Amino acid sequence: MDSQNKFMPQDYIPIMIQSFIVLGFVLTTMIMTHLLGPLRKSKAKLENFECGIEGMGNARSPFSVKYFLIAILFVLFDVEVIFMYPWAVNFRDLGANGFLDMLLFLGLLLLGFIYIVFKGALKWDNS
Amino acid sequence: MRLEDFLLMRHELLLTLIAIIILIAEIFTDDFKKQGIRPLSIILMAIVTIVGFLPAPTGTLFGGMYQATDMRLMMKNILNIGALIVFIQSASWLKSDDNQNKVSEFFLLLISTLIGMNFMISSGDFLMFYLGLELATIPIAALAAYDRYSNKSSEAGIKLILISALSSGILLYGISMIYGTVGSVYFDKVSVAYGATPLQIMSFIFFFTGMAFKISIVPFHLWTADVYEGAPVNVTSYLSVVSKGAAVFIFSIMLVTVFQNIAAMWKDVMWITAAITMTLGNLFAMRQNNLKRFLAFSSISQAGFIMLGIIGGSELGMAAVVYYILVYIFSNLGAFGVIAAISNASGGKENMSDYDGLYKTNPALSLTLTLALFSLAGIPPVAGFFGKFFLFTAVAEKGYWWLLTIAVLNTIISLYYYLLPVKAMFINKAETSIAYFKSDGWTKVGLIICVAGMVIVGFASVIFEYIRTLSFGL
Repeated sequence: MDSQNKFMPQDYIPIMIQSFIVLGFVLTTMIMTHLLGPLRKSKAKLENFECGIEGMGNARSPFSVKYFLIAILFVLFDVEVIFMYPWAVNFRDLGANGFLDMLLFLGLLLLGFIYIVFKGALKWDNS
Repeated sequence: MRLEDFLLMRHELLLTLIAIIILIAEIFTDDFKKQGIRPLSIILMAIVTIVGFLPAPTGTLFGGMYQATDMRLMMKNILNIGALIVFIQSASWLKSDDNQNKVSEFFLLLISTLIGMNFMISSGDFLMFYLGLELATIPIAALAAYDRYSNKSSEAGIKLILISALSSGILLYGISMIYGTVGSVYFDKVSVAYGATPLQIMSFIFFFTGMAFKISIVPFHLWTADVYEGAPVNVTSYLSVVSKGAAVFIFSIMLVTVFQNIAAMWKDVMWITAAITMTLGNLFAMRQNNLKRFLAFSSISQAGFIMLGIIGGSELGMAAVVYYILVYIFSNLGAFGVIAAISNASGGKENMSDYDGLYKTNPALSLTLTLALFSLAGIPPVAGFFGKFFLFTAVAEKGYWWLLTIAVLNTIISLYYYLLPVKAMFINKAETSIAYFKSDGWTKVGLIICVAGMVIVGFASVIFEYIRTLSFGL
């Protein structure tokens, strides 16, 4: 057991190799893309988009985050549904106890849902 | 699960219960009665804090994933006290027009983080530890961005969430390597099987780095000042006291239990980082003019001092750490309470030069701030002195004389900058100092609790002796 706890510097070589490979991969890709990629600096190339509508104005202005809010809330309730699958599979085995546990879980989430509705997070038009 | 098992988890379950009560109150009250949520939350939190102190059984749950020992319960109680004081101090700030429509969210998010911290402290394996850590971190980022019309506040929120994502990533990498080498995530199994193989040393370094971000130990402290400055004062005080305290608690527990086999190694690591943390925190604190940044750097150097107790590693050292956090809660919240009161009353004045001549206009607040800064510096009549004294004893007991010398020198340096605001308030002349204002009842109660804590915790040696009986070491 004692010999196991004594490690020589050469035992660290695998870790060193791993670190070098990781760092090397990042550096190589970064350098090689600069060297290998074709460099064409024309006015059209330097535009934000080569096709479509030309960019205008400043992007840093307040904008509505409705989509984001709805998407986040969707994820939340999606996860809730995922939890119901194992319950559905084991419904008979879990019995009344499992039913009560699940009722508590769903009750808490329902409370959150009511909160969302009351706060008006699902209202699309805020006028 | 038997009914008695619920008693083991009473801190977490009670906090969950009051979170649900506040949520229901938020849903089913009209806008006119929303202000009632503030006293309701404070009273509920006070009840939970008191109930936490009642004697109750100890044991383990979920096959060892959850552990409730006397020491861990004590730590949770200390955090509850800190959270209660933050609740009381933020009551007058939440009354302002900007915060009218998000009062209950403030309390809900704070309680969520507190639940996370409690689970983290009670964790018996890395999985529970990590879950608790995340629950304790993510809501804080939302709170840091609470002030929606301030750019600095949202900057603080973004910085906090990025830094916590980064540090959690590093931490998880370390945990995965620990699992890879040991084959278990349970603390008791890991502590037995943990050796000093190269991979295990690497995993410890990753784990240490992740935790160092949370406690803001020096090479990983750069986020602290920006986040503390940007976040609203009351959130900053919570972040610097309760969050940091919880991370220190679980870190010290894990070092003396999970990583006990490599104690000689982590003591070396901690020795160097503690010395750098104290020194750099102090040196940067001298240059600050904004009081929140000032206290941010002060809290970095305090983290260095707290590490002294962990380096001791003895049962005395652990008791000193827990005791110091208790003292730190009262002193730092006292300082932040005064800064919050002045910032709210004067429309956001937080610079040291604004405090010129404050003693003439607001003597009570100046005296409270002075007392709190004395306690942070460790000047004898207040509790901070005893806290520092026990930490130094814990290090001296193990013969770390050089580290002790550095620590004492740093205490002397810190005296200089802790006295700068005091000088501003008492000696500096000002043409327009902050006008006299009457603070409301909640602020007064919060500050009185802090002052009482600073005095009583120092003089009542029963408290330290009691913590000592619960303590354990290497």
